[in-house]
Amino acid sequence: MTSLTRYGRLLGVQLRASLATSMQYRVDFVIEGAMSIWWLGWNLVPLLILYDQRDDVAGWNFPSALLVIAWFTVLRGLMEGAINPSLIGVVEKIRTGEFDYLLLKPADAQFLVSTTRFEPWNLVDIAGGIGLAVAAFVMLGSAPAPGDVLLGLILLFAAAMVLYSLWILIVSASFWVVRLDNLAYLFSAVFDAARWPIQVFRGVWRILFTLVIPLALMTTYPAMAMLGRLEARTALAALGGALVFAAISRFLWRAAIKSYTSASS
Amino acid sequence: MIRVDDLVKTFRVHRRPAGLGAALRSIFHRKYEIVRAVDGVSFRIERGERVGFLGPNGAGKTTTLKVLSGLLHPTSGAAEVDGFEPRRREPAFLKGITLVMGQKNQLLWDLPAAETYALNRALFDVPRDEYRETLAELSALLDLENLSTKPTRQLSLGERMKCELAAALLHRPKTLFLDEPTIGLDVSMQVAIREFIRSYNQRYEATVLLTSHYMQDVTALCPRIIVIDKGHLIYDGDLRALVRKVHPNKLVSFTMTGAIGPAELERLGDVVSSEGGRIVLRVPQDRLRDLVSHALANLPVVDLSVEDPPVEDIMRELFRPGSAPEAASRAEAEAS
Amino acid sequence: MAGQLRATLRATPTLLRVGVAETLAYRVEFVIWMLTTTLPLIMLGLWTSVAAQKPFANFGQREFVAYYVGALIVRNLTGSWVVWQLGDEIRRGMLSFRLLRPVHPFITYAATHISSVPMRGLVALPFAVILLFSTAGDLLITDPVLIGVLVVALLGAWLLTFFMLVMIGSVGLFVDKASAVFEVYLGIFAVLSGYLIPLALLPEWAQSIARWAPFRYMLAFPVELAIGFYHDRTDVLRDLGLQWLWVTAVIGAALAVWRAGIRRYEAFGS
Repeated sequence: MTSLTRYGRLLGVQLRASLATSMQYRVDFVIEGAMSIWWLGWNLVPLLILYDQRDDVAGWNFPSALLVIAWFTVLRGLMEGAINPSLIGVVEKIRTGEFDYLLLKPADAQFLVSTTRFEPWNLVDIAGGIGLAVAAFVMLGSAPAPGDVLLGLILLFAAAMVLYSLWILIVSASFWVVRLDNLAYLFSAVFDAARWPIQVFRGVWRILFTLVIPLALMTTYPAMAMLGRLEARTALAALGGALVFAAISRFLWRAAIKSYTSASS
Repeated sequence: MIRVDDLVKTFRVHRRPAGLGAALRSIFHRKYEIVRAVDGVSFRIERGERVGFLGPNGAGKTTTLKVLSGLLHPTSGAAEVDGFEPRRREPAFLKGITLVMGQKNQLLWDLPAAETYALNRALFDVPRDEYRETLAELSALLDLENLSTKPTRQLSLGERMKCELAAALLHRPKTLFLDEPTIGLDVSMQVAIREFIRSYNQRYEATVLLTSHYMQDVTALCPRIIVIDKGHLIYDGDLRALVRKVHPNKLVSFTMTGAIGPAELERLGDVVSSEGGRIVLRVPQDRLRDLVSHALANLPVVDLSVEDPPVEDIMRELFRPGSAPEAASRAEAEAS
Repeated sequence: MAGQLRATLRATPTLLRVGVAETLAYRVEFVIWMLTTTLPLIMLGLWTSVAAQKPFANFGQREFVAYYVGALIVRNLTGSWVVWQLGDEIRRGMLSFRLLRPVHPFITYAATHISSVPMRGLVALPFAVILLFSTAGDLLITDPVLIGVLVVALLGAWLLTFFMLVMIGSVGLFVDKASAVFEVYLGIFAVLSGYLIPLALLPEWAQSIARWAPFRYMLAFPVELAIGFYHDRTDVLRDLGLQWLWVTAVIGAALAVWRAGIRRYEAFGS
């Protein structure tokens, strides 16, 4: 059996286990879905207030800004449904020493760590985000070109890869500094800035959110791609950057495992 | 075959004394201490042996197990398991071993154990028929019944431990590392698990390395023991031999129909207890025969038993700093 | 009752000291937690850019800076993680230990969280204060009477926030999903307290709701007071009165919810 099929099968098993666990708590499922919708609405408040008075902010009108928020919602759904649950659990496992069991399995530790847990109710977020995107294009009065859509999806994939790599970096750091679960909250908090088109930020803020924490990449670029405003060159650079980032995080993960000392006893 | 040569493992530990001043200072400067958890340990274990690791808390037992299972890499020295270097954690190596840690679960908490079994089967690439066969055997040996279909969080501690063992052995490893597997369990469950380990060892010729706080685990299961204290190996060999060496006394119990006077009692020897008609004496090995024949001939004895003192006593004596046995065994270890 | 009070007083210095030690034990985590309250900074970035050319509804860049930095300071000083702490202890059955102490749990929780305020002040204040003075110094109040009122207002904000959170955490004694209640609360809080957006920017109908709800008095009231939005002394006193009315109401409600919850907890065990 090739490595790929094997890992594909393992992913299937993990997904099934996560689904079964979520089904155990059916009430939670509904509540969390409702919460997703709640936050979706809440996200729109600043946008509505802003565009109540202005028609255009830094070259973005209301429907196009809505598109950025749509991508933000989809990405956040991906993050909180597929990326966060596993990785937050890992920090806890490192603390209790149960992480050792993962190292004893004959499969790549990073893979195991990343697929322990999925939370399916975040599909509501993803669906909501897509709904907002559709609404934005309805408001614009024209559908996006297929090529633009494809580019947008590729960039979305790159964004997800960057988010995931950031998380792997955080978890790698937690091998050295034991209680880092609050970093998750910090990360989510900073990620909040990604709901705005990057051009809206000026000066030091824009530098911060483009280079230091590549939020611009995650939401603005896919939106610009779909609106046909993104140059192919920028898109390729973004994709390349995402791949490099993923490689760096993988390298640091392996370094972290090497120096890992489990909690005593 | 397990081979350990001059193994050393050290850790850096942060020490902070109590007090607000110290707390504030620790923001800027942390004091670290080097702890030598394992300090030059060597031994060899052959295939199919059952070996018990004994030692006080913090002696280095768990650390040694972790080095042997590849979770920690040695600071210096060598460790080898079945020809593999554990630290490399090669898949073939991992498929041949298992580590069970008493207080820590690998079972998925919200789901039945069966889901964890399925996961492990996928992870260890166990062929379907072999999986079914092993599961059936394990279920029989461990008396699992329908435990595996209840969510793990609903199981009692003992039931959970049984399922943990099943999950850990699904891939039929040839080497078992068991770190306090019976901790927190009631007596009947401890016995059941001991029995299971012995059966597994005999059926699959698996090597078993066991650490435990409970002497009964070790005395019942392990013909050979390795004693570790403060990172040093201070004894490696037969348990009986150790008992005899450290405490060359036996415990002799008489049950008598009549009472005997205090003078008579004193003449018998070192009295441990005397209640009702039952007297327990501590008797040196060489005096044993004389005492027993004297008692049987002259005293109204209806029942007699001769035992080794509880192993706990041996251990306590062995580890008590400054005691003669402790000094002797330390000297012996350093000489070898 | 007197015995409990005495025990409380005697225990307080130790409780505070241990609280500080706990906070210091995790340096990095602590700094991170402080930085978590970053929403005002992001909003600041957004609104200062928007108001760069032209003020937005009477808010120029300086006003936005003053407001959001003020909000950041107040949020840092008054926020606490007691909801998580309570939830954790309830779930793991550790609440039982707290109940066995001769001091009311509210006091022990409060001690832990109050003792983190100096630390948070130390870390957050310098950078925030520098920013405030460098860009909008002349907006800050200088009247000593108003500053005294501000101190009282901050204390009120702390109490209001803390007991609101304790009450929400106590819901965990009844239901499994207190976190959902907390999320709903956070959403409402973010808007009605002025944390997300200055209340003056909200539509009229929302502003009237905000005026009567308790959330405003957890954040917007002290912030607006500090940056000179109040021009009339009577308004200040009126709002201060409203704040402390809410403080007593929320403390009362929290105690009631707690008591009912504990009765249920004791019936069902940990």
